[in-house]
Amino acid sequence: MTVNPVQSNGGASGPYVRIDGVTKRFGDFEAVSHVSLDIAQGEIFCLLGGSGCGKTTLLRILAGFETPSAGSIFIDGVDVTAVPPYERPVNMMFQSYALFPHMTVAQNVAFGLRQDGVSKAAAAERVNEMLAMVQLEGYEGRKPHQLSGGQRQRVALARALVKRPKLLLLDEPLGALDKKLRERTQFELVKLQERLGVTFVIVTHDQEEAMTLASRIGVMRSGEILQVGSPTDIYEFPNSRYVADFIGSVNLFDGQLVVDEPDHCRIACAGLGVDIFVDHGVSAAPGAKVSVALRPEKIRLARERPEQRENVVMGSVSGIAYLGDSTRFLVLLEGGTQLQVTRPNFDRHDEHLEDNEVVWACWDAGSPIVVSR
Amino acid sequence: MLGCGFADRGFPVNHRAFSGRWPRLRAELGRRSVIGLPFGWLLLFFAVPFLIVLKISVSNAVLAMPPVAPVLIWGHDRILQIHVQFSNYAFVLADRLYVAAFINSLRVAAVTTLLTLLIGYPMAYGISRTPGVWRNVLFMFVALPFFTSFLLRVYAWIGLLGRSGPVNGLLLHLGLIHEPIQLLQTDFAVYLGMVYSYLPFMVLPLYASIEKLDLTLLEAAADLGCRPTRAFFAITLPLTREGIFAGCLLVFIPAVGEYVIPALMGGPDTLMIGRVVWDEFFANRDWPVASALAIVLLVILSGFVFLLQKVQAQAEEAG
Repeated sequence: MTVNPVQSNGGASGPYVRIDGVTKRFGDFEAVSHVSLDIAQGEIFCLLGGSGCGKTTLLRILAGFETPSAGSIFIDGVDVTAVPPYERPVNMMFQSYALFPHMTVAQNVAFGLRQDGVSKAAAAERVNEMLAMVQLEGYEGRKPHQLSGGQRQRVALARALVKRPKLLLLDEPLGALDKKLRERTQFELVKLQERLGVTFVIVTHDQEEAMTLASRIGVMRSGEILQVGSPTDIYEFPNSRYVADFIGSVNLFDGQLVVDEPDHCRIACAGLGVDIFVDHGVSAAPGAKVSVALRPEKIRLARERPEQRENVVMGSVSGIAYLGDSTRFLVLLEGGTQLQVTRPNFDRHDEHLEDNEVVWACWDAGSPIVVSR
Repeated sequence: MLGCGFADRGFPVNHRAFSGRWPRLRAELGRRSVIGLPFGWLLLFFAVPFLIVLKISVSNAVLAMPPVAPVLIWGHDRILQIHVQFSNYAFVLADRLYVAAFINSLRVAAVTTLLTLLIGYPMAYGISRTPGVWRNVLFMFVALPFFTSFLLRVYAWIGLLGRSGPVNGLLLHLGLIHEPIQLLQTDFAVYLGMVYSYLPFMVLPLYASIEKLDLTLLEAAADLGCRPTRAFFAITLPLTREGIFAGCLLVFIPAVGEYVIPALMGGPDTLMIGRVVWDEFFANRDWPVASALAIVLLVILSGFVFLLQKVQAQAEEAG
């Protein structure tokens, strides 16, 4: 198989895709507000956000289906803001796949090549190559309606990749697949991307999908990008209450900064009973109102009072959800706050906590994330 | 028996709700009658008149009332005699005038169909791409002519196209012509009337199929490097084929047998089969020949529909 990695033809040092101050308004509604973003070549960049956050609009601007109200788009150093979609070195995989229902699989995949004037024979060769890559040999003559959802997804992928685009845009690429198939396809997609070296920009509302696929994630909300970072950054170091809450499960406490030294700080949280002790300073104004995010898996539960002095609270188990790989507990603290705690089930014979049992919960001073409200 | 296969596919029954034997039977009966009654109606009022016409077409013309000889006669010996003769068909098919009328009718209908398609497609396309309320308004405009009697609208055209009508007046005023020109009683007037009258029948099915077209497909085509014009021929046109076929059938079939427009707006040499049938029936009082003409027309049209359906099925197959 000879699928060549995409060659860059200039601007090798700069970002591959540059979104520069892009705003898109629909009437009074601002779908995308002043977004600036650099995406490097060969990256898998995920735009993550809830519905209506502007992620799809941004993707459509990259594809050329929408013209930004302000700002510009550069791909490989070339300003493509005014370039129509049919002249952009960009291909897109649509959420609905948008396969042409009146064409066979082979005709669908060949469509883009035929537009470029590639001869029938040469196109057929490339089509076979692509279909082999997505493991759809023997399906050339089928119509889209004769395929399963997973097969359609792969045809759409083959069709989008056959022209060897510099940039592939994927709109909820795995949204229509069932869970098992989705997990398998995620890894296939990453492997494919690594082999071809195409830059991927993926839009998704599924944080798990974003975490699995992306080298970097951009979290969006009401048209703005809140945070850009690696999946680890986004999960462990969210920069805002919204991001902390959006990605994964989290315990959020609102509190007040009472001590803020360079090497530690304390936050008083009503309803928690104790101050939260953090092993670093936050350099905020004293008495600042802040939020503290604490991931459920960072909290330990014990029947006996742990030896550590800080970050220990007492409560009673108010809910248990056994999830197989882990167990999720709800702990009702004395102050009335509910604490979510996740404990991995290392052992098949783990000691089981009972409902209403009194437990101690504790966490390390490095675990809490202090964010502004 | 009628329509039971259709009923099985079209109306999924909640079997838990109809678990008893009698209620299920009743539901079954209900389902069948929903399809059966209209079919029975059509059968009665299409098949029976058709059989009557068929009977007349194989009988003799006589000077009587009605002007046909009976086909079935009880002889004096009380034996049923059947008098059938196909000479009417031979007469119709051999006469140059009738053949010419058939060919001319088919030509006029074909040109009308083509013209309505060329005018109607952009119309339907435009309406389906118009946002919100305006779409309904434009749609209303297409259906508006149906609020007035068809005959009245044809007479309106006669008034418009007359020697002292507004069209001639405008052309004179603009200095394009120096004296009124003959617009009525020409082929031009026939085509104008036909295209005008049949346009809605083309636009409505076209609109229905264009409106269903998934616009993402056009975006996908553009994304793959296809320019808008090419995308129209590669994506839009093939995917609205059903609407095109339906519109063409709805225009072509009635247009072939059209009588009123050629009679009122056409000239004395506008030879169309509808008019010939009328003349045979009412001027000539030769019912058998007129009936034979009607039957031949029906056979020709059925052939066309059959052919078109075959083409459509093939197109679907080939995709």
